[in-house]
Amino acid sequence: MKTWTLSAALRQWGTFLGLLAIVLFFAWRLPETFPTAQNFLNISQQISMLAVVAFTMTIVMVMNDFDLSVGSTASLAGIVAAALFAAGQPVWVGVSAALAVGLLGGAFNGFLVAYIGILPFIATLGTLTMFSGAAFMVSDGKTIFGRDIPAEFAGFARFGIPLDAIGLDGAKLPLMTIAAVIVLLVVWLLLEQTTFGRRLYAIGGNRVAAELAGINTRRLRLIAFGLTGLGAAVAGLMYASRVASANPTQGAGLMLDAIAAVFLGMTMGREGEPRVLATLVGVLILGILDNGLTQMNVDSYVREVLIGAIVVSAVAISAVGQRRT
Amino acid sequence: MQTLRFQGLTKAYGGVPALSDVTLSLSCGRVHALMGENGAGKSTLIKLIAGVVAADQMTVLRDGAVVPLRTAAEATKAGFRFIHQELNIVPQLSVAENVLLGHPAPHRFGAFIDWRSLEDRAASALAFLGAEHIDVRQQAGAMATGDRMLTRIASALVADAGAAEPCLYVFDEPTAALTVTESTKLFDVIARLKERGAAVLYVSHRMNEVLQICDDVTVLRDGRHVLTTQIAKTSSAEIIEAMTGKPVSDTIPGRTAPVRQRIACRLTTLTTRDLSGLDLSLAQGEILGVAGLDQGGQTAFLRLILGQGRIQKGLLEVLGGRAPKSPEQAWARGIAYVPRERRSQGLMLGMGVRPNTLFPHLGDYGFLAQKRSEVARTRTLADQVRLRFQGTEQPVGQLSGGNQQKVLFARAIAKNPKLLLLEEPTRGVDVGARAEIHGLIRTLSNSGTAVILASSDLVELCGLADRILILQGGRQVAVVDRQAMTPADLLSRIYAPEAV
Ligand SMILES: Nc1ncnc2c1ncn2[C@@H]1O[C@H](COP(=O)(O)OP(=O)(O)OP(=O)(O)O)[C@@H](O)[C@H]1O
Ligand SMILES: [Mg+2]
Repeated sequence: MKTWTLSAALRQWGTFLGLLAIVLFFAWRLPETFPTAQNFLNISQQISMLAVVAFTMTIVMVMNDFDLSVGSTASLAGIVAAALFAAGQPVWVGVSAALAVGLLGGAFNGFLVAYIGILPFIATLGTLTMFSGAAFMVSDGKTIFGRDIPAEFAGFARFGIPLDAIGLDGAKLPLMTIAAVIVLLVVWLLLEQTTFGRRLYAIGGNRVAAELAGINTRRLRLIAFGLTGLGAAVAGLMYASRVASANPTQGAGLMLDAIAAVFLGMTMGREGEPRVLATLVGVLILGILDNGLTQMNVDSYVREVLIGAIVVSAVAISAVGQRRT
Repeated sequence: MQTLRFQGLTKAYGGVPALSDVTLSLSCGRVHALMGENGAGKSTLIKLIAGVVAADQMTVLRDGAVVPLRTAAEATKAGFRFIHQELNIVPQLSVAENVLLGHPAPHRFGAFIDWRSLEDRAASALAFLGAEHIDVRQQAGAMATGDRMLTRIASALVADAGAAEPCLYVFDEPTAALTVTESTKLFDVIARLKERGAAVLYVSHRMNEVLQICDDVTVLRDGRHVLTTQIAKTSSAEIIEAMTGKPVSDTIPGRTAPVRQRIACRLTTLTTRDLSGLDLSLAQGEILGVAGLDQGGQTAFLRLILGQGRIQKGLLEVLGGRAPKSPEQAWARGIAYVPRERRSQGLMLGMGVRPNTLFPHLGDYGFLAQKRSEVARTRTLADQVRLRFQGTEQPVGQLSGGNQQKVLFARAIAKNPKLLLLEEPTRGVDVGARAEIHGLIRTLSNSGTAVILASSDLVELCGLADRILILQGGRQVAVVDRQAMTPADLLSRIYAPEAV
């Protein structure tokens, strides 16, 4: 738009300002421990798994769909890799198998949604249970850990690139963070700079119209769900590497946080549409709140209440701002 | 009540004026036409006096006394009733519920909805419209466009017990989605409302309607008032000149190049779930009109060629090959389509003019987006259809109704299609742009594009088509030569009970 109005700018940038406010608040309350390079590096590692799931969740949410099964896909991927390691397979076999499971599981969601025509809520609620059950079956309900997990695999989460060169002696940029940044770049390129991404936005804008305008909505939805599943599997592997073990429920917390992060980001869209860079802001808000409140020794139940309230109020403020012109 | 005066109506969207200090006086028992080009501000004016959009400035006077009007509820209380241009019915609800939507529902024992009386009231409102054929219990989404419109009109006609007798009825392009017969019924209703002493404000781009049913006319241009006069004292030429600032001819240009030999599309004894007995062929450069009653199978016919129907019997050849299997294949092979319902089937309302125009053609840009050349192409196309917009990134939901329609047309002609499928291509488009679009269709056809044009606008059909296919209930009943076919003849053929 040609004209710039304060209220419109506030609505679009309000969530970003909220992020800044949160950072400033913790920097003020925790001057010793919060605003340090080491803490920021820690945060980046802590949020990297959520970030990967949220970025790839954005791909389906662009089409007005969503995927409830990402958490159990992540668990299943971790379990599949660990089970193969336990059976003596090399790292690359376990990792590839886990990624394949994620991609196929996601594509199965896409098949149910796009070709069979089941609502995404129902379809992915169903597969959530299926994948989670499969994880229990593969692992016999037990945690796979210890010598079964190869050192190279667990090492991924511990290594980083030393930052001595830029004056941060002893600090390391975690590989997990780098992985999340790569996923961010790939998803951003895909959604914002390719024909593929533009078509997904078209489907989100009006699916019937997109179909009649020659866009193959079914195939694109199948692929998009596949990518979301793949992202969930990547996150599941990162998680398993971080804790050097795999159990059939460890991804469970990811789904709600990922959806919340995308919703937070959507408050920044001009028309309330998801954008992956905005999702990053959502992820940062959730991750920094968690980190700061933990450092302030806020009880974890209170923390949940607070985070939930912040998500709801951000979305509410944006909805109110959009209502009447 | 004698007169209603709306004074100093002003509204800007994000700093861009849509309506500047317009004053409108309406009298009881008179029908007042509101005219202007696409984007002139007609719908904006109506949204202001309906209280659905906040006015920057507005005074409402009834016989000289100020009427408070800031919300839709206050407008209803003042006795104003509206049929908006773009609102639609709620497809999941029954017809009766849609008719009574926005009215207090009748209750039993103060708590339970009295369904019987709700249905009775809806039925009587429909009967007043002469639309007794509509079953009030059916789901509204299952109805054809015309019946949906009638349902919406009925909703404005319901009188609420206790509330003031409605004194103003506002119709924003009600006939754009109606067939000729349905329109005639609507005009009857308007005449009766007039007799009851109500004032009527009527928006339409169809000059003959305005001359036929209106008493006064006000013309807007670029959000400003340019003319108010009595219909009896003016002419269609004067109104058009006031609207556009220059004289415009609305005669449809004739063919200047002969129809080619090559066949673009051939149907041989074709049957699908919704269509039967189709047997015809279409040459390149030819324009085939498709006429029929509402839901007579026109949509199914065009969608079949777009690759969306399953052939049960017979043969369909398109552009020298087999029928496309999906709209994706169809567009890729040079078939373009303008769907019937621009908002639900055509546009991504939240997205910009550029993506909306170019979605089917993204493949031309390879895998990576190329914003600059897309913007340039969008601008060229927008000029061709005379789009009135603020920029290629403006969301199409912010365009006026007629301009939204032009975006769809621009999308369809973007790549000089070999076969152009059009459904109601000029619905809601103003006189000037309509002539422009007719000119573009003619140019394409002269250059060899085959066109299938389904339209309820019989003047348009008779003016453009070489032959006209008449469908009844999805069955081909005749293919008539346009030569010596007047709109009146065509109308009688559409309704004629053909021998099976
Ligand atoms: N929500 C909006 N945001 C920005 N601009 C808008 C919005 N709604 C309308 N406009 C602009 O206001 C102007 C007037 O639009 P309006 O819908 O009143 O035209 P109209 O006379 O009804 O045209 P039509 O005959 O095409 O229906 C147009 O230029 C349109 O782009
Ligand atoms: Mg309008």
